[in-house]
Amino acid sequence: MKAILMLEDGKSFTGESETLQKERVGEVIMNTAVVGYQEMMTDPANVDKILVLTYPLIGNYGCAAKFNESDKVWLAGLVIKESSRIFSNWQAKESLGSFVKRNSLPFMHSVDTRTLAVHLRQKGSMMGVISTETFDRKELLSKIAALGKEKSSALIDKVSTQKVVHSGRSAGKRVAVLDLGVTRSIMRQMESLGYSLKLLPHSTSGEEILKLKTKGLIISSGPEDVSGLEKVAGNIRPLIGKLPILGIASGNLALAMALGGRINKLKIGHRGVNYPIQSPSSFKGEITAQNHAYILNHDSLLEIKGLKISSYNLNDRTVEGIESKALKIIGVQYMPISPGFHETNEVFIKFMKMLGRD
Amino acid sequence: MPRRKDIKKVLMIGSGPIVIGQACEFDYSGSQACKALREEGYFTILINSNPATIMTDPGMADVTYIEPLTIEMVTKVIAKERPDAILPTLGGQTGLNLAFFLMKQGVLRKYGVESIGASVSAISCAEDRNLFKKAMQEIGVNTPRSGIATSIEAGMKMGLSIGFPLILRPAYTLGGSGGSIAYNREELEKFLAKGLETSPVHQVLVEQSVLGWKEIEFEVMRDCCDNVIMITSMENVDPMGVHTGDSIVVAPAQTLTAQEYNNFVNLSKRIIRRIGITAGGANIQFGQNPRNGDIVIIEVNPRLSRSSALASKATGFPIARVATKLAVGYTLPEVMNQITGKTTSFFEPTVDYCVFKICRFTFEKFPHAQRALNTSMKAVGEVMSIGRNFKEAFQKGIRSMEISRFGFGCDGKDKLSDEDLKKADKGLLQLIRDKIRLPNDERIFYIRYAFKAGISTDEICALSDIDRWFVDNMKELVEIEEEIMKYRNNKIDEEIKLPLELMKVAKLNGFSDHQLAFILNSREARVRETRKKQNVKAVYKLVDTCAGEVAAKQPYYYSTYETADESRQSRNKKVVILGGGPNRIGQGIEFDYCCCHAAYALKEEGVDSIMVNCNPETVSTDYDTSDRLYFEPLTFEDIMNIIELEKPMGVIVQFGGQTPLNLAVSLRKAGVNILGTSAESIDIAEDRKRFKHMLHKLGLLQPENGTAFNFDEAKDVAKKIGYPVLVRPSYVLGGRAMEIAYDDEALEKFIKEAAEVSGEHPVLIDKFLEDAIEVDVDLIGDAETFVIGGVLEHIEYAGVHSGDAAMSLPTYTLSQGILQKIRQATYEMAKELSLVGLMNIQYAVKDEKVYVLEVNPRASRTIPFVSKVIGIPLAELATKVLLGKKLKDLGFTKEIIPDCVAIKESVFPFNRFPGVDVILGPEMKSTGEVMGIDKDFGRAYIKSQLAAGQKLPRKGNVFISVRDRDKRQVIFIAKKLADLGFNIYASTGTADALNKSGIKVKVLPKIAEGRPNILDLMKDGRIQLVINTPSGRIPRQDEVKIRSHVILYNIPYTTSISAAQATVSGIEALLKKDLEVKSLQAYHKKRKK
Ligand SMILES: Nc1ncnc2c1ncn2[C@@H]1O[C@H](COP(=O)(O)OP(=O)(O)O)[C@@H](O)[C@H]1O
Ligand SMILES: Nc1ncnc2c1ncn2[C@@H]1O[C@H](COP(=O)(O)OP(=O)(O)O)[C@@H](O)[C@H]1O
Ligand SMILES: [Mg+2]
Ligand SMILES: [Mg+2]
Repeated sequence: MKAILMLEDGKSFTGESETLQKERVGEVIMNTAVVGYQEMMTDPANVDKILVLTYPLIGNYGCAAKFNESDKVWLAGLVIKESSRIFSNWQAKESLGSFVKRNSLPFMHSVDTRTLAVHLRQKGSMMGVISTETFDRKELLSKIAALGKEKSSALIDKVSTQKVVHSGRSAGKRVAVLDLGVTRSIMRQMESLGYSLKLLPHSTSGEEILKLKTKGLIISSGPEDVSGLEKVAGNIRPLIGKLPILGIASGNLALAMALGGRINKLKIGHRGVNYPIQSPSSFKGEITAQNHAYILNHDSLLEIKGLKISSYNLNDRTVEGIESKALKIIGVQYMPISPGFHETNEVFIKFMKMLGRD
Repeated sequence: MPRRKDIKKVLMIGSGPIVIGQACEFDYSGSQACKALREEGYFTILINSNPATIMTDPGMADVTYIEPLTIEMVTKVIAKERPDAILPTLGGQTGLNLAFFLMKQGVLRKYGVESIGASVSAISCAEDRNLFKKAMQEIGVNTPRSGIATSIEAGMKMGLSIGFPLILRPAYTLGGSGGSIAYNREELEKFLAKGLETSPVHQVLVEQSVLGWKEIEFEVMRDCCDNVIMITSMENVDPMGVHTGDSIVVAPAQTLTAQEYNNFVNLSKRIIRRIGITAGGANIQFGQNPRNGDIVIIEVNPRLSRSSALASKATGFPIARVATKLAVGYTLPEVMNQITGKTTSFFEPTVDYCVFKICRFTFEKFPHAQRALNTSMKAVGEVMSIGRNFKEAFQKGIRSMEISRFGFGCDGKDKLSDEDLKKADKGLLQLIRDKIRLPNDERIFYIRYAFKAGISTDEICALSDIDRWFVDNMKELVEIEEEIMKYRNNKIDEEIKLPLELMKVAKLNGFSDHQLAFILNSREARVRETRKKQNVKAVYKLVDTCAGEVAAKQPYYYSTYETADESRQSRNKKVVILGGGPNRIGQGIEFDYCCCHAAYALKEEGVDSIMVNCNPETVSTDYDTSDRLYFEPLTFEDIMNIIELEKPMGVIVQFGGQTPLNLAVSLRKAGVNILGTSAESIDIAEDRKRFKHMLHKLGLLQPENGTAFNFDEAKDVAKKIGYPVLVRPSYVLGGRAMEIAYDDEALEKFIKEAAEVSGEHPVLIDKFLEDAIEVDVDLIGDAETFVIGGVLEHIEYAGVHSGDAAMSLPTYTLSQGILQKIRQATYEMAKELSLVGLMNIQYAVKDEKVYVLEVNPRASRTIPFVSKVIGIPLAELATKVLLGKKLKDLGFTKEIIPDCVAIKESVFPFNRFPGVDVILGPEMKSTGEVMGIDKDFGRAYIKSQLAAGQKLPRKGNVFISVRDRDKRQVIFIAKKLADLGFNIYASTGTADALNKSGIKVKVLPKIAEGRPNILDLMKDGRIQLVINTPSGRIPRQDEVKIRSHVILYNIPYTTSISAAQATVSGIEALLKKDLEVKSLQAYHKKRKK
């Protein structure tokens, strides 16, 4: 079926779709990673986004449950160039086509994603709508406007767990994870370090968290839902200094806000797996995976006592990491993914040190 | 960290002549390194024996030595120049090994030279198969079960315990030379011997086979602060067992999951750290079991490699430049990414297209060699293509290869027609299956046949072990082809009925107009017209290292059929330069050299240079060589698309060799302005009849000749002009399928072969001039002034292809009278063709008569050589002439006769094709060239031989066996050698001749007639030099055996009397006084005064 992607600014792109019933509206974002489409589709941080993949050949290695970052597909839509009609990898269980159908994900292919990406780079990320029914410009633009008012917040609420979930070791050192849209990758790495994890609803209050008497708290990654993050910031403010806290991506935004920091939005987010960061004090850097449009406001951080900026993005010099021994916090804006072979990322090792031996 | 101040002078070692496994990718990385070093203000010293390279241009380095790449010579350069550091990682395996042995032998220590970029320990850890295996086990990286053999016995024991099939991989070799797959005891023994022989350290890895596994490569870089980045992953379409240098390769890897990709990255980091590369790049090759994901490491190349060149061109990331900066102390974050102009080099390139690499083979040159591909590399060149999907890149790649194919079949060139395939019988099906099962250069086409013959995807995957994803993509192309077929015309001149949607699909998937014309039974021009009406036009996208995330400053382009064009034309005057396409025998780096110089000259003249080429190994496809680079196939369609977009003032077809020249006429017809010598003149030179007519008019001689369409006509011609005759097809390069016939019987055979190559054109028959001296003349002209660049005298007699013969500049035996005649003839022809630009003429001199063999109205193979000897950049001058400048104003009006002697010697791939006879003939066989330069002929010649890998002896035993015609001349040679203290061995016949003239000789029995025979002596290393001229038409069995042993045991040899004479005078010179080194700049300075 012929399909259209209409952007907020009136620019449109055509393609094909087999799974799109009624049109879907969402913020159009692009990711430059070559592999990892299933991980991106199932990462709660991407909830309600229309995701554009710049790599043109998608689905080659198929799909399998083990690649999921959560047990749901959260996207509002997936937009790609060419969808592989077969899959080829010993781990794959089904094709991309059947995966998106099963998860009824609005999926659009045969789009000139290169031109789309360049347009987004120039104009900045924006809202868009994908449709197979109507191709009428006015109508589509009004749909975007409508939604613009309606919701777009309450995203964290949408993805977060409603009840406390236990995972990892039953006994042993306990760490709380405030679920703003946590990924399996985060849980898996902490579990592999031998912790017993308590996954908490995003709205859990500071007192409740303290009552749990956990060694530390992780504020997980998740959608960049600002009002939601402000609430979280409010909840955790009383915890600062009381126990070690690790903030990841959105979690880091909340953490910084709790400390009194401000945040800003980038014209176009960092979304890919090739972002260089470097600590201000050394020549040693690291290539990181990132998926964020919001960043910590540099100057506002300077006003926070005892806080030091631990890493910058080398391309645009934005803040990627904060740290404070005094406040017992570590915050990273990038995704501390496993470096491979189920090894754990430096960030968790560091946090483990902060949590202490005993 | 800032650049190192403690080093001032840096020595770079080049990779020497182009050979299989080491082509011009190292000119590309080497010249990038030179630029990078000089940018930083280092005094750069370069040594390389290959004159055809850009890197050896005076001006690339501060001092340039074109000298043999031997320990002795490099040591001399070091002693003379006293560099502080040596950069060993950019000169391929040759450069690396040289540097390594210089370290081992304490030369570097003695002269206080530091090796930057790779330490001796890093090199040995990667190259020494034993240390490597240990290191990998330490960091938990699996290697196939294996043992290291330093003797045949040990090797046999290991092999048998591991079990067949076995992979044998010699240490410190390149392009898998000496490597092989052994399926049984005898093979194991045989190949062990070969492997140990090939490895400079006599070490062979005997390894369990993982044939059929995926072969995955990663390009990694690391700086002194342990920052590590992946440049790209690459997936070999041909699975394990086909050398990566021969494999079809795609970048990035297409069938790895995110998790698998991360694991490979993780391994690569561990490996580069463990190997200890602290400032540079490495190429890592893995094998992966497609059934369960198990990973083994195959090897690490701790240096710039063929794959890194490909990775650079595929992503836009200049690995060589960055590696050089790292070597002098910078960290990745400190080196800017010049493509984006915004990001630093500490940034992993990401792509939004599919890159495809496919190799160019030249089996047709070696009919006796088997076409099978294995672990020992055989490709002479490669092309890279870019598309928005695999299918597009795949078809573009195939039509880039210059094998007159226009895509994945259906181009009128298929060996098997759809009809044949529909009713394929058992035999045919079997043939197809075999061609898919055993890797070979035609495999992909047989996969297409298989589909047409109804063989299933599953079976094809099972037979070939090629990943299903690639096979299915090929299947999709066949399906599209059949869809298009439905709209086939009944009559060729009908309108095209192909619907717009399908036309789009076809172009998006890389179908060329030529293919569409064939499928639709129409004409290419018609297809082009139609789709332009439908507004289906190529658009150009960027190679920008970042998938469009940032606006790139200095990107390059590829075509596709998407919605928006991103190319940025300028208002400036522009000229399009057509490159030479893939390296192959007959057309190599020399032509790329000329194209680059054209680009440089255009820059000087303030004209935008637009380069079109598809060869990823070259300097011409470097991002900063031209103003705009289009990475595209060199076909009429692809070129016209660019021309219609850019609207240049003109196009240069003179420099890219035969490829662009062949397009000249059709481009002209399409209204394109061809700069320089008119298409008309080009046609006169290329068309036999018109050419003959011109010579006649100018009263110049040509070997008697005629043309024939069949044997009977040929016989008449031969009767008329008399045997021997030279038979050749029309319109070929490198003497393709040329043969010398001495009688009817041979003639009949050759006519058949020639007719095949020649197609509808007639076969050409020339009187073959025996024992004639051949002369090459290069000249430049501006339609008014004509100046000879150089007159080169061949050392071998005419009959050895000009691309294979050794040549001397200046000439060394020709009389003033003859030279006079040659020069006059040259100028007359130049005037007649009103030459504008470069031209090359070949003459044969016999009995004081000068015959014209051929005129090439283009830059020739010898332009770089001549330019470097006379110190004048001919290609650059020619470009300015093409723009309308006059030689008078450019200050080049008089031929320069050098006061030194320079010898150009050719290098041959015989060691790659076991059993092929090493005899030279009119069909070109060499892959590369070297230059020896010195004050006299003898020294220059011996240098050229050393550079070509012939270790000419100072003493020892010489074996002589020559045909009767040569017996008289060989006496003088043998006498000389005896006087110089050599012992002479000879075959019976030759021995008689020598005895008669009182020369002491030991007679050796015919091989069949007793031992020890010559072969035994060679095996035992008791023969230091072999002089053996072929007995004529059908070489005697002994000869062939002897000559193949010469290759096997790498014994210096000559197969012509004239070369033998040169060799002897060389040895004489060598014994008189040791060789010295002198830089090009020094030679040129002397001349300027
Ligand atoms: N154990 C093995 N089993 C099967 N094929 C192998 C094995 N080891 C190497 N090969 C094949 O041999 C080729 C050449 O080996 P390699 O060591 O890379 O030679 P080179 O050093 O010349 O690149 C590889 O590209 C791979 O295809
Ligand atoms: N009539 C001839 N007599 C002797 N040798 C010849 C004659 N014609 C050509 N040759 C030899 O064959 C070689 C190839 O011929 P040429 O016309 O140069 O082919 P190409 O165009 O491929 O270079 C020449 O370099 C020369 O050595
Ligand atoms: Mg290799
Ligand atoms: Mg190697």
